[in-house]
Amino acid sequence: MTTYLLRRLLALLPVMLVVVTIVFFLIHLIPGDPVAVILGPEADARQIEDARRVLGLDRPLPEQLLRFYARLLRGDLGRSYFLDRPVTTALWERAEPTLVLMASALFVAVLIGVPSGIVAGAHQGSGWDRALMTLALLGVCVPGFWLSLNFVYLFSVRLGWLPVAGYASVFQDPVAALRYMLLPAVSLGFSQSALIARIARSCMIEVLRQDYIRTARAKGLAERSVVYLHAFRNALVPVVTVIGITMAILIGGAVVTEIVFNIPGLGRLIISAILRRDYPVVQGVVLLTAAVYMLINLVVDVVYAFIDPRIRYV
Amino acid sequence: MRHPKTRWTVVALAVVLALYLPGPLPDAAAQKKGGVLKVGNLGEPPTLDAHWTTATITEVLTNHIYEGLYAVDARTQPIPMLAEGMPAVSKDGLGYTFKLRRGIKFHNGKEMTSADVVASLNRWGAQSTYGKTLYARVAEVRAVDAYTVQMQLKEKTATVLISLAIPNNFAAIYPKEVVDKFKPAEKATEWIGTGPFKLVEWKPDRHIKMVRFDDYQPRKEPASGYGGRKVVHVDELLWLPVPDAAIRVAQIETGELDFADDLDLNAYGRLKKTAGVQPIVAKPYYWLVAVFNKKEGLMTNQKLRQAWQAALDMEPIMKNVAGGHAELYRLDSSLAFAENAPWHTKIAGLPWNEKNRDKARRLLREAGYKGEPIRFMTTQEYKWMYDFALLSKQQLEDAGFTIDLQVVDWATLVKRRNNSKEYDAFTTGMGNFYDPTHHIYLGPNWPGWTNDEEINRLLADLAGETDYRKRFALWEQVTRAFYDRVPVARYGDLFGLRAMRTHVKGFDTTLMRPRFHNVWLEK
Repeated sequence: MTTYLLRRLLALLPVMLVVVTIVFFLIHLIPGDPVAVILGPEADARQIEDARRVLGLDRPLPEQLLRFYARLLRGDLGRSYFLDRPVTTALWERAEPTLVLMASALFVAVLIGVPSGIVAGAHQGSGWDRALMTLALLGVCVPGFWLSLNFVYLFSVRLGWLPVAGYASVFQDPVAALRYMLLPAVSLGFSQSALIARIARSCMIEVLRQDYIRTARAKGLAERSVVYLHAFRNALVPVVTVIGITMAILIGGAVVTEIVFNIPGLGRLIISAILRRDYPVVQGVVLLTAAVYMLINLVVDVVYAFIDPRIRYV
Repeated sequence: MRHPKTRWTVVALAVVLALYLPGPLPDAAAQKKGGVLKVGNLGEPPTLDAHWTTATITEVLTNHIYEGLYAVDARTQPIPMLAEGMPAVSKDGLGYTFKLRRGIKFHNGKEMTSADVVASLNRWGAQSTYGKTLYARVAEVRAVDAYTVQMQLKEKTATVLISLAIPNNFAAIYPKEVVDKFKPAEKATEWIGTGPFKLVEWKPDRHIKMVRFDDYQPRKEPASGYGGRKVVHVDELLWLPVPDAAIRVAQIETGELDFADDLDLNAYGRLKKTAGVQPIVAKPYYWLVAVFNKKEGLMTNQKLRQAWQAALDMEPIMKNVAGGHAELYRLDSSLAFAENAPWHTKIAGLPWNEKNRDKARRLLREAGYKGEPIRFMTTQEYKWMYDFALLSKQQLEDAGFTIDLQVVDWATLVKRRNNSKEYDAFTTGMGNFYDPTHHIYLGPNWPGWTNDEEINRLLADLAGETDYRKRFALWEQVTRAFYDRVPVARYGDLFGLRAMRTHVKGFDTTLMRPRFHNVWLEK
């Protein structure tokens, strides 16, 4: 297991190198000039040239890339053009909101998705099944931002139960944090719960057709223990994969949710960085996201081994 | 003959009426001290170094932290701020002596002296758009004594005071130590001023927190425009970046924000009906403009530019951009806004808003135009830009133009517009220019590159002339030349929309950009 983990972790490095290189070229391929944005619409050409020199943007692209690699080796992601601070600091400041959002959304997704999938699967063709699956279909189809805006309108503007947008740290004010996080977590988690529910249902149906389930039933076990003890655990492996994928999708979904609910996280950071061509920040966020994505994959693979004792890594 | 009783009734009525008439501002006792004022704005400033950028968001924020020697009043005239009074000008008009106010403290507790002023002005003169323009005529700025600064000019100009007073990219006074630490080309990252608010925390994407500066010394003159007496009543001014316009509107409706700036014009009707909310029409905001590339390509042809101007029908364009609200736009041909009274022109018969398709077609023929696509660059990041570009395209194509509308993001637009090979026209907005010599689109150094002999000569005369009446006559000539050469197509004036909760009191709604001194909360 340890060698397996080490090998997987080492394999991250070349992937990261490719990712940062591609991102470097992609972001520089998009036309646009950070300096013209910083200096304001009235700036003239000479001012822009001067500022480009100060930021090192006048150097040839390959040279900029080499400098970027050199800094990266020292663990330095560069300095943001706009935020007047190192990129690592900017990332660190925004990690908490995004992590809290992802964790809460995942919690909502699993809380809704897994039970409804199991219930629907266990009672295939029933009214419950149809109702839950229609809901799941809706969840997959409705765009997240639309759901968010409607939640805001209903629960904040009309009913006044929850704040429209904003963020409070869980560590400083847990109650306010919950109030702020509720709508974003539900609107982000809901569509993901639909995906989880559908997978959980089909796995459940498949497992319930297996011989050992028939055996269990033939033994005279209660339906409840057949479904929840025997079938559920075996249906879990694909569900865990989906939860892993969900986490990865949530990174993307968080971008939209953070914008709508004004959460100062990584999603908002990368959007403003792209719009303003804050190259070092874009590279930093992508690098971090890629790393997290790959780590999630690794964790999912490891978790398999715990759920299914037949899976062994060497 | 009048009955005595009637007379008494008249007097009594007059007294009662007088009580209801708007009187002078309530005295200090009526203004509540304390509270946190939450202001929602559209995002993060690129910097809080006022010398560095012309970005509006930086202008709004930095004017709460810093001050200059002068400020503009309600009539857009310079009035003293950190300077004691108006300067003494030498007989030849080349020497300006500024006396500084004494006992003015920076937020770090240090007293402001001439050393700080000289260092700051020189930094501003090296970096700011307006500073550079003025410093082209400045020979030297030096300290005479601790509270006296002398500016020596190479050539006479009427623009010294207004340049020092304009709030955008402004001549903010920093402590000398900050100036020494950050060269003009580097953004300052220590933000210490003499303003009524002190910056305590800037957490990007979360908030910018300012508090009342207790050692602030207000001027004695009443508040006017951006100057005069400034008193801070709130304990804290919290700027919250809320990039989504719909969310800013929702947050002012629910009261999560006390004040919201830059709102979607379509929300105007809804906000008017919301209890506890007062929508504010911000005048002036921008006049919309299509800037032509006069260095290279199709639009170097003056006839083609005249055809563009002749084809436009402003009313439907502006109405649409303003979300259908007549209060939110204005049709005006003057290059200076009506609010900028000293420079507002009223010239009849200019070829503006002609909506004359036949004239446009004739001009197109004379230009030898054969339907080549004209690359018109715009962005959806500013909805109004996209809207007026789209409506223009329709009207222009009806008159025989072929418009290739290129929709890009703002960062791309501001880069491409510096390259004469990449476009024929682009959209933007023109804010308020306090002096005729500041109208960037008339000069050769700004994208579009207007380089017209007559306009250049008139602007040079304007820069050197100091008599207002002669300057105004020159400005009228510039305006006429402008409508003949059409360096850019001027559309109508668009107003901005902001809103505040009704418990926010004392806010001056006539200001082009918000200021939160003299504002208090009644809740």
